[in-house]
Amino acid sequence: MRGALIVLGGNMLNNRKIRLMTKLAVFENKTGKEDISLSKYYKTDYVRYQVLKSIISATVGYLLILALVILYRLEFLIKNAVSLDYKTIGAYVLGIYILIITVYGLGSLAWFSFKYDASRKKLIRYFKLLKRLKKVYSEEMPES
Amino acid sequence: MMSLLVFRERVKNFYQRNDIYLLPAIKFIFALVAFGTINAEIGYDERLKSVPVVIIMALLSAFTPSAIMVLLAAGITILHVYFVSPVLSLLVIAIMLILYLMFARYTPRLGYVVLAIPILYVLKIPYVIPILLGVISIPMAIIPMSCGVILYFIFQVIKTAITMQINKTVEDILLVYTYVIDELTGNKQMIMTIVIFALILLVTYFIRKMRFDYIFEISIAMGTLTGLLGFLISHLILGGNSNIFMIIVGMIVSGAIVFVINFFRITLDYSGVERVQFEDDVYYYYVKAVPKVTVTTPQRNVKHINANNEDVSSQSIPSEYSDEDMDEYDEDEDTYLDNNNDFMSNRRNYNRNKDIDS
Repeated sequence: MRGALIVLGGNMLNNRKIRLMTKLAVFENKTGKEDISLSKYYKTDYVRYQVLKSIISATVGYLLILALVILYRLEFLIKNAVSLDYKTIGAYVLGIYILIITVYGLGSLAWFSFKYDASRKKLIRYFKLLKRLKKVYSEEMPES
Repeated sequence: MMSLLVFRERVKNFYQRNDIYLLPAIKFIFALVAFGTINAEIGYDERLKSVPVVIIMALLSAFTPSAIMVLLAAGITILHVYFVSPVLSLLVIAIMLILYLMFARYTPRLGYVVLAIPILYVLKIPYVIPILLGVISIPMAIIPMSCGVILYFIFQVIKTAITMQINKTVEDILLVYTYVIDELTGNKQMIMTIVIFALILLVTYFIRKMRFDYIFEISIAMGTLTGLLGFLISHLILGGNSNIFMIIVGMIVSGAIVFVINFFRITLDYSGVERVQFEDDVYYYYVKAVPKVTVTTPQRNVKHINANNEDVSSQSIPSEYSDEDMDEYDEDEDTYLDNNNDFMSNRRNYNRNKDIDS
């Protein structure tokens, strides 16, 4: 047995295992929390989900901005309610909306794929430690 | 210099031993300052200003994630505004929502920046944030920073708007509303500030990324200089409704503050004492993992004695520091074990290990 053993009242504590488990636990509790929750998704699923979320939030934000603008122009709008060229206004509003959605969609596509890859890289070390822990377990088993 | 370094080591030791108490304490003080400034600036509702309320909220944010503090701060500002003018509070909510949905949600960990900018603006040193973020963060931090600047200017406008609100007919409300929007969209100073802050952050960040001695100090100095130049130019373009002398002083003080923070940053970057619990088939483990400090202290001090002033570069690689540590561990774990270099060892166990191994 290569791992260190301390005999305490007939029970066995595997120091090496404790060490590995402590490292894993520290990582899981602190820096790795987000990375581990990310690793439950496939990349495409994760990115798609995030893009969808940011498109929805951008839509809500745009609607809010639109409401503020309408309120701001309210007097003008009411005065010229009959003579307004609704077609052009509608086209404008829709055009800007499509522009914003495209920018946010593409932007979050790039950002969240980058984020996913970065978190994968951070997890490599974690998986390495896990593998080592597995080895320790399999070494331990025959003895007990 | 030497005694300063020793002092830093002491601070680090102290921090590592007590970070479980220190962190909430620091957060509590931050929260107290934040809520205090909000109350002083737009404290219209006396009930929210009372000491027990403020202390309870500060305590709450001391023991919860930083997002709670930001939320609480947003909440009390909205309530304060609501107390005088419900319509304006609606506007504030709408603007905050827009800022969150369109921008701030992409950098969730930097939420406190949005809160810190207006607070530090009141304290006349908002320039700490762009320089500091340039040193410790990534260019994405421009997003929450700009949101913070916008929020500050919104509240400046709202403070004047509240004084002009007379009675509550629909026309008056619309008038106040258009006034606020006019002031906001036509506010060249706000846009200028956002641009300059972004510039400071980028300059500091990209200089910091270069590799030579004293790079952190140089990048902080350059960031400060960029800010000084930027605000001087904006002052010349926009004319003098801002007090340029105060800006210069604030800028220099901010640079100095970041300098001090950077000096102690290795301390703050360090993970303190870790308390974790886990289990295997046989046991529950409650482990307290204490990082070794005694190893690093002599190393760093020796460097400074020998090199006198030349080689301070060793102190400016905090991020790589922990990485190297881990890599070394990864590559040859067994030698690491035998070196008595691992973070949980205590001497008794170590001796025993040796006995068993040999």
